[in-house]
Amino acid sequence: MAQATITVEDVATQAAGKTVKLVKFAGQLDESNVDDKAKEIYAIIESVPQGLFLIFDFSELEYMNSKSIGYLTDWYTKLTERQGSIIIAQAKPNILDILQVVGLTQLIKSVGTLEEAKAAVAQ
Amino acid sequence: MELSQNQQESEKPITISISIPTNAYFMSGIRDFTFSLIKNMTQFSEQWAYRFQAVVDELSNNAIEHGSKKDEHITIIFTAEPQKSIQIAVEDTGTGPEKLNAEQMKKLVAERSQPGYPFTEIRGRGLAKIVAAWTDELKFEDLPNGGLRVSVKKLLKQEANAATQGQQRAQASFEKQDPTHVVLS
Repeated sequence: MAQATITVEDVATQAAGKTVKLVKFAGQLDESNVDDKAKEIYAIIESVPQGLFLIFDFSELEYMNSKSIGYLTDWYTKLTERQGSIIIAQAKPNILDILQVVGLTQLIKSVGTLEEAKAAVAQ
Repeated sequence: MELSQNQQESEKPITISISIPTNAYFMSGIRDFTFSLIKNMTQFSEQWAYRFQAVVDELSNNAIEHGSKKDEHITIIFTAEPQKSIQIAVEDTGTGPEKLNAEQMKKLVAERSQPGYPFTEIRGRGLAKIVAAWTDELKFEDLPNGGLRVSVKKLLKQEANAATQGQQRAQASFEKQDPTHVVLS
C-alpha cells in the first residue's frame, strides 16, 4: 500500500478576511489511500466557512493519480465558491507534468517556492 | 538491470506478464516496476518512465475497480520492442460491477476526450486525459472469457532522439523545476 501523509499548519497573514494554512503532502496519493486522505482536506475546508487559502506544499509528493486530481479540482471549486483558493508550491516535475496534461495548471496557480505562495495569497 | 548491446540490437520484442490480485494495495509496487523497466530496458527518457507509471496505474485501477470482482486477478503485459516502441496491455476478468465492453469504452473515451468536456465527478479523467494523451494508440478488445483488454502503444520515434541527442536538453528542462512550464522531449 502506498504511504501518504498530510500535515497542516497555520500561516500568519495580515490580509483581512483571509485564513491561510500550509498543507504539506508527502508520499504517494493513489487508489489505495486517496479517499481517506481526501477526508482530511474536506475537514479543513469545512472548518473555515469563508476566505480559506490553502498552500499545498508538494515538495515531498511523489505521485498522484487521476482520482487525487479529481479531488484537487473539487477542493479548489469548493474553496473558490467561498472566496478562498488553493496555491500549489514546490511540485516535482512529474507532478507538474500530470497536472499539466489534465489542464489543472490552467486552473490552479502553481509557484516554485513557499515564499511565492505566501506572497500570492497576501495579494 | 540494463539490456546488453546484443539484446538492444535485436529486433525481438521482450514481453513481461504480471498477474496481480484485484486490490489497489499492490499498485505502488507495479508503479516501481514500471519505472525501472522503462528507464532501464527501453530507450525512453526518465520523463516518460514517470508518465508510463501513471498510464499503467490508471489502466490497472480501471481493471480492478470496474472490470473485475474482488479476489480475482488482472494481468498486465509489457512488450518492449527495442528501438521501436513500448506496449502495455491490461486484462480484466469481465466480472466487475461496472463492466463495459470494448465498444462502450471507445464511446466513453471519445466523449470524454472532446475539448471542454465537463468533468464534474472525482473520477473519469484517467483514460481520456492521461492515458490517451501520453500514448500513440489506445485499443479496447473484448476477450473470449468476457473480460476486456485495454492496450496502449507508445512509439519511440521522437523520444529516441530525446534519449540520445536531446536527452540532456530535455533533462535540463525537467530538472529546472519551472512550475509553470514543463518542456516535453
